[in-house]
Amino acid sequence: MCSSCGFPAAPGHWTEAGTATPHDRLRARFRRAQVLQSILPAYGLTAHDGAQVPGIQVGTLSGNSTIVRDLEEVWAEAERMSGKAIDPLDPRFIGDDV
Amino acid sequence: MAAGIEANDPADKRMRLTLLGGFLGSGKTTWLRHQLHHGALADAFVVVNEAAETAVDDALLGQSAELVVLAGGCACCEAKDSLIALLRSICDRRVSRAADAPLLDQIVLETSGLADPAPIIEAIRADPMLVHHIVIGEIVVAVDGVYGLRHIREEALGRRQMELADRLVVTKVDEAEAGELGRLLATLRQINPGATVSGAMKGTETALPDHSGVAPEVLADLGNGTGAQPIRALKIDIGEDIDWTAFSVWLSALIHARGDDILRVKGVVHTPAGRLLLQSVRRIVQSPEMLPETRGDTPEQDNRLVFIGRGFTQAALERSLRHFAGLGPDGGKGS
Repeated sequence: MCSSCGFPAAPGHWTEAGTATPHDRLRARFRRAQVLQSILPAYGLTAHDGAQVPGIQVGTLSGNSTIVRDLEEVWAEAERMSGKAIDPLDPRFIGDDV
Repeated sequence: MAAGIEANDPADKRMRLTLLGGFLGSGKTTWLRHQLHHGALADAFVVVNEAAETAVDDALLGQSAELVVLAGGCACCEAKDSLIALLRSICDRRVSRAADAPLLDQIVLETSGLADPAPIIEAIRADPMLVHHIVIGEIVVAVDGVYGLRHIREEALGRRQMELADRLVVTKVDEAEAGELGRLLATLRQINPGATVSGAMKGTETALPDHSGVAPEVLADLGNGTGAQPIRALKIDIGEDIDWTAFSVWLSALIHARGDDILRVKGVVHTPAGRLLLQSVRRIVQSPEMLPETRGDTPEQDNRLVFIGRGFTQAALERSLRHFAGLGPDGGKGS
């Protein structure tokens, strides 16, 4: 646990399983941020994880930003910031123009 | 801290909690008594929750090494705080035990017949102390062989318990009428295709009759969260070369947005660390387990996920996953 910020308070989130080596873990964090960056801008949001500090930064285009622990919190925070649920079954993700 | 604690990792010293549920009178205690007697769960710490003020089950379960009864309230609602306090005290005792005392590694929680397993799991997973000490192992649900069909038909809670099980134990097999039992088994297969189903007679495992070709019961909407649409189970093929990270981003978003409709997700996914068994109950994803590597060909069930719930189609899930993974609709790179 990081003594300054209390991260992580619980054992790893399930989405962080599946990586065995520190190298894989780092690569997974960058890839996770990349996927989020391809999804969140449609909702007027940004995501950043430089792997320098624990957590994922979620922000709005107007500069409001917060650090969350895991993907579960990303979606809850994104919903709060944008006022809309981010639903993967939304037509924008499953439509023919995908 | 290592990410993603695995339930069967030898380094993971957390206790496994088996949740035993089932509707009122479905034979939970009888089944548990047999398991304690035959040693399958003999070393487990048993917690029995009874909704009534007066507890009876503890008198029946004399076999267990340690047993605590939580009476006067259901552990999924009014007695939730007492359950958490009790589990914490078990954890305290375990860490402060004498050096030569055996290490407790199993807890069985027999819920009351009126308990919904999901809030109990959620409460344990959300507790900052318990999450370090307890990992949810299996959800076993006893199904009454005689009245099971009626519970599925008429009781929203009874149906929900069966939908969430990893293992369904059909009890009173000897007392059930053969035709009814066949229909019950076919209906169970329909509402929870992911669970293993076994039969029991006074707790002893019994073979179940063949029910292939038997039509399942047509189920009506019961309100109370069972929704207007019927529950369906479908399988999606996520592909050999699935990008695990993109997949986990997608599934976490899906469970967050649709957790009320997606009752169960189950399957084995290939990750950089190996084969990973993934299971969820509504919005709760159980600690993923690493499975041993297989020799030779990839098992057929790998990289195929079972989704049980309502309000989605196979095509929608597959297209949405491909979008998240940055693949085109046909599965190729680029959109």
